[in-house]
Amino acid sequence: MTRNPAPLAISATALLGLTALALTLRPVVGTRVVRSRPPVHIRMIDPGAAIRAARRMNRAAGVIAAAVLADSSIEHYRGSFHNKAMIAPLVIASLSLAASVHGNADKRSTAHRVRDGIYAAAALTGLIGTCFHIFNIGKKSGGFSWQNLFYSAPIGAPAALILSGTMGFLAERVRDTTPGVAPIIAGVSAGRAVAAATSLGLLGTASEAALLHFRGAYHDPFMYLPVTIPPVTAALIGNAAFGRARERRPMTRFWLRFTALLGFAGSGFHAIGIARNMGGWRNWRQNLLNGPPLPAPPSFTGLALAGLAALGLMEDHPDD
Amino acid sequence: MTDRYPGYDVLARRWTESWNETTRQVIDQRLAVPREPRFFSATEWRTLSAVCDRIVPQPKDRPPVPLPAYVDQKMADGLLDGYRYAQMPPQGEAWQRGLAALDAAAKEAHGGPFHGLSAEQQDGLLRRMQQGNLIGKAWGGMPCKLFFEHRVLPDITHAYYAHPIAWNEIGFGGPASPRGYVRMGLDRRDPWEAVEAALGEGTDTRRKNNHGG
Repeated sequence: MTRNPAPLAISATALLGLTALALTLRPVVGTRVVRSRPPVHIRMIDPGAAIRAARRMNRAAGVIAAAVLADSSIEHYRGSFHNKAMIAPLVIASLSLAASVHGNADKRSTAHRVRDGIYAAAALTGLIGTCFHIFNIGKKSGGFSWQNLFYSAPIGAPAALILSGTMGFLAERVRDTTPGVAPIIAGVSAGRAVAAATSLGLLGTASEAALLHFRGAYHDPFMYLPVTIPPVTAALIGNAAFGRARERRPMTRFWLRFTALLGFAGSGFHAIGIARNMGGWRNWRQNLLNGPPLPAPPSFTGLALAGLAALGLMEDHPDD
Repeated sequence: MTDRYPGYDVLARRWTESWNETTRQVIDQRLAVPREPRFFSATEWRTLSAVCDRIVPQPKDRPPVPLPAYVDQKMADGLLDGYRYAQMPPQGEAWQRGLAALDAAAKEAHGGPFHGLSAEQQDGLLRRMQQGNLIGKAWGGMPCKLFFEHRVLPDITHAYYAHPIAWNEIGFGGPASPRGYVRMGLDRRDPWEAVEAALGEGTDTRRKNNHGG
C-alpha cells in the first residue's frame, strides 16, 4: 500500500487555522499615524472609508457564520448531537451571525467589546473544532486514511468558523481607526492583512471542496468549478496582498465577484443534487443529510466578500 | 415473546415518504401470496407445513407468516438462488424428494405420515436429517444433511423474514425505498426507524413508534 498523503492535507489545514488565529492573536497596534511626511500622492482619505470596509467585513463574517450555522445544524443533527460539544458551533455561529448583523448596522468608528469577544470566541471555537475533528479521524480504525477523511467529520467545516471569527475580528480592527487614518492590522495595512487571510481561506475551502468532490468522483462537470475558480481568485487576491499598492485590480474584483456568485450557485447545484437522490426533495428528511451539503458553498461567497472589502481598503488606503 | 419494538407497525409506513408506489406494490404482492399450493401436491404441502411449524414455530396470538406458501411460490415461480450444490438436484425436485423421503422415514419409524406425528417425533426426525442420519431409497442419492442445511433452513427462514410481521419483531423498516438510512454508526438510529424498548421505557417507546414513519 502506498503511504497515504492525508497527513499532508491535515497539516495544511491546521496551518491555515493557525495562521488565521495568529492573525487574530498577534498584538494589535490599533491605529497609528501613518506618515510623518505627507505622501507623494496627495489623496484625501474618505473619513468613512474604514467604517465602510469594516461593515463589508462584518457582512463577510456574517455570511460565513450563516453557512457554518446551517451546515453544523444539519450535520450535527445527523450525528444526533452524540457529543454535547456538538452544540457549540450552533451557539457560537449564531452569535457570530448576530454580531455581524449588529456590526453591519453600526456606523461608529470604535470596536465593540462584545462583538470583539464573540468573534475571538468564534475563531477559537473553530480552531478547537478543527483539532477535534482531526483527533476524531485519527481515532478511527485506519487513522488518516482516505476512507476516514471522506466519511468522518470534515476538517474544513470548523475551519470555516475560524474564518468567520477572523474576518469579524479583523473588521473590528479596521473599524477601530481614527477617521481619516489608514487602518493598520498587526503592523501592516489592513487591506493587505485581510487580502492575505482571504487568500488562505479560499485555498483551504477549495481544498475541502476538492476532497469531497473527489469523493463524489466529479460526476457532474460543474463539480470542478469550486476547485478551479476559487484558487484563481486566491492567487489574484494573494497577489494583491503582497503586490504593489495603487494598482487598479479590475480582474481581481471580477474574480472575487464571480466567486461570490459561485457560492450561491453552489447551493443551487447542491439542491439539484439532493433532488437527484431517491425520493428527491419529498424525501428531504433523508436526502438533506445524505445529499451534498446545501449550506456549505456560500462560505466561498463570504470569503469573496471579505476579499472585496480588502480590495476596497487597499484602494481607499494605499500604503506606499 | 417479549415485544422489543412495542407499538411498531412497519405497515404504518405505507403512505409516508419511506415507501413509494413501487414499494407498496411489492409489499401488496407479498401479502397476497395464495395460501394454497401451486407447485407442491396436497401430500407434500401437508408435510411442508408441518416442517415449517417445527423450523419456525410461531405464536398463536397473531396470524402466522405463511411459510409454506412462500416456499411454494419460490418453487412455482422458479426463483433460484443463483448456485446449486452438485450433489443436490434443482430446488423444486430437491424439495419434492426431501419431503417424500421425510414422510417415508416417518412411516418407517412411527407408522404414520410426518404431519400426523407429535412435535417431539417430528423434531427427532428433523434432527436425524440435520445430522445426516436419515437414509433411504427415497432420497435418491441426495444427502439429507445438505438438504436440511441448504433447502430446509434457508428457504423457510428467508420466507419468514420476508414478511412484515417478522419485520415488526426485529424493528426492520422494510424496503429502503425510497427512504433508507443515514445514521450508519453503531447504536445510532434515524428518526424514522423503529425505537427499541429499553428496560422500563415501554410506554415512551410505544408513543415514539406510533409517530415513526
